[in-house]
Amino acid sequence: MNSRDQGNRFVLPAVIALSLVTVYPVLSVLSMSLHRKLLLFDISEFTGLDNYRFLLSDDRFWNAFNNTVYFTALSVSLELLLGLGIALLLNRTFRFKGAMTALVLVPWAIPTAVSARMWEWMYNTDFGILNHLLGLKINWLGSPFWAMNAAVVMDVWKTTPFVAILLLAGLKMIPQDLYQAARIDGAGAWSIFRRITLPLLMPVVLVVLIFRTMDAFRVFDAVYVLTGGGPANTTETLSIYAYKVLFQTLQFGYGSTLAIVVFLCVGAISLLYLRVLTARAEP
Amino acid sequence: MFISAVRVISVLATLCALPLLAGCPVEQKNPRDGTTIVFKHGKIAGDPGQFRKLLDRFERENPGITVKDETLPASTDEQHQYYVINLEGKSGDFDVISMDVIWVPEFARAGWLLDVSHLLGPGEENAFFPGPMRAVTMNDGIYAIPWYIDAGVLYYRKDLLKKYGRSVPETWSELVITAQEITGQERGLYGFIWQGKQYEGLVCNALEFIWSNGGEVLDKGKPVLDSPRNAEALRFMRDLIVKYGVTPPLVTTAIEEPTRHLFGSGKALFMRNWPYAWNIFEKQGSAVKGNVGVAPLPFFPGNRTASTLGGWQLGVNRFSRQPEAAEKLVRFLTSPASQKTLALSVGYKPTRKALYKDPDLMRQQPFMTSLYGIFLRARPRPVTPYYLMMTQVLQPEFSAALAGIKSPEAALASAQKQVRHILGEGP
Repeated sequence: MNSRDQGNRFVLPAVIALSLVTVYPVLSVLSMSLHRKLLLFDISEFTGLDNYRFLLSDDRFWNAFNNTVYFTALSVSLELLLGLGIALLLNRTFRFKGAMTALVLVPWAIPTAVSARMWEWMYNTDFGILNHLLGLKINWLGSPFWAMNAAVVMDVWKTTPFVAILLLAGLKMIPQDLYQAARIDGAGAWSIFRRITLPLLMPVVLVVLIFRTMDAFRVFDAVYVLTGGGPANTTETLSIYAYKVLFQTLQFGYGSTLAIVVFLCVGAISLLYLRVLTARAEP
Repeated sequence: MFISAVRVISVLATLCALPLLAGCPVEQKNPRDGTTIVFKHGKIAGDPGQFRKLLDRFERENPGITVKDETLPASTDEQHQYYVINLEGKSGDFDVISMDVIWVPEFARAGWLLDVSHLLGPGEENAFFPGPMRAVTMNDGIYAIPWYIDAGVLYYRKDLLKKYGRSVPETWSELVITAQEITGQERGLYGFIWQGKQYEGLVCNALEFIWSNGGEVLDKGKPVLDSPRNAEALRFMRDLIVKYGVTPPLVTTAIEEPTRHLFGSGKALFMRNWPYAWNIFEKQGSAVKGNVGVAPLPFFPGNRTASTLGGWQLGVNRFSRQPEAAEKLVRFLTSPASQKTLALSVGYKPTRKALYKDPDLMRQQPFMTSLYGIFLRARPRPVTPYYLMMTQVLQPEFSAALAGIKSPEAALASAQKQVRHILGEGP
């Protein structure tokens, strides 16, 4: 027996365990997505690709898809910009730096459902602090235009600290002598940032993007607690739609189809990022 | 260190297991070796003591049977979820179930209810209003007995109509004209308010507009949502807000109580609501006491008024261990005598037609008996086991049409497609 076989034998238990907890559920959801399955009435008929064909022409699905893409694009880019700014500031030396870093992390430490409830009160038309400060009477969560943006603001508030801390770690890894050399050569702050900080931070930025995009694309708790998907489904994301179909009406067939599509989207996004990452690492 | 961790874990494990032990079904026998049945219901309006008195009467009339009544959470969605979870798990922890009118076909189709048609004598189903009877009948079986009834009505301000020499509107266009004229001269008065938030109440409201325009949701079990009549009705609802200006935009987030408060503080001329609001308006200190009238909802030309049917029905859990005793309780609570008692004590509107000619009721609850004609014509929401899935589709689509995000035609076409898919008619 060569060492390769021996290695395989050691890996085998892990492979079996992983298959049980990931491959089996995925296959089971895949098979359910090919059925018309209504748990309440014990209905389970194989319908082939009917669910997928329906999904392609399902307005509610495309509405949820667009909402999710909008939420993801806007919140991830805002979080990246703000997070980078905060990380750059925290990377300088100043008094109370430790305390500041800890304070910045507070929103990230609050459970999502709790912060969503908190924001729900701040957005309240009659008693909310937001309208009080602005002197306005905007129905933030009741208006089709504001509701999704209100959810984005909450997510940015909550997740920017996470981005900032990861980027701060990346900044710390950049060797200081590069900066010293640049300064001796007479480089200005902007060109130092553009030519040294940004390129060397890029791998961390990509990792942050992978994490955040995947999280934002599957967003459920923040928006569900804040708006429940309303008004008129303008804040219904793919996960909320799947939840409603799966657990509120127990339509396991079509619900599984939705879950599979979310899975495929997230998979495609992460493949794309990985390709960019490896392409950068190779040369 | 290690030992203490083990102890902590074992204590925790014991604590976690306790509720499981407590949840074990324990055969409940009372000292006289009789049976105990459990009756689950929503909050009883008014004084719960009155209801207990009725149950005591049942226990006296049926020696050996003890009734334990347990109240469920106030929200009907939570009640529905409670039943679905427990009945899907074949729970026999309760015997008599009280059900919203839209649940019965679903529960019956899922096989959770006993057929109770033998509880009614020959022809006795004709003693009840036809709407609720249709909602509890499936494939010739009767799966619940109507307990009390509800229906949408139009509230109006008698004093204001009199001041401007207007009569109670019969058609929707009369309502619009009257509301425009009076709100044009009265400051701070809304014309017509109703319930337009994305929830079950919106479907009830929208169906009244749709039916009163000759529209339908299902025809012989097939969805017929995308019809011009339905679109016209939905467009009219939106026009009430944007074109005629008689309905304030706040209705698109309003449920029953906010509209009842507005009307009750004298800020609206017309309101669509359920009959429960009447007693509150007629209380001492109410701003509109003595000035409120109730009429059937208006209709579109060439059609007739339509009220959405509400109300509760009693059925027997298929997994009950004492079905005979449970059936006795259902029979007792839906009997003319009990319905009369509940009508007089807590204001539950009887489902038996004859009670509306009962001299005591006519004297003590004249408002209730005046609703006879409306209850007689009240229509159940589509009677199908799939109703709860359908309403999940209808609510956001109707809401989108009201908010102007979609045209009525687009909202109905989308709803039509989704309902077809739910009913298994292909993509």
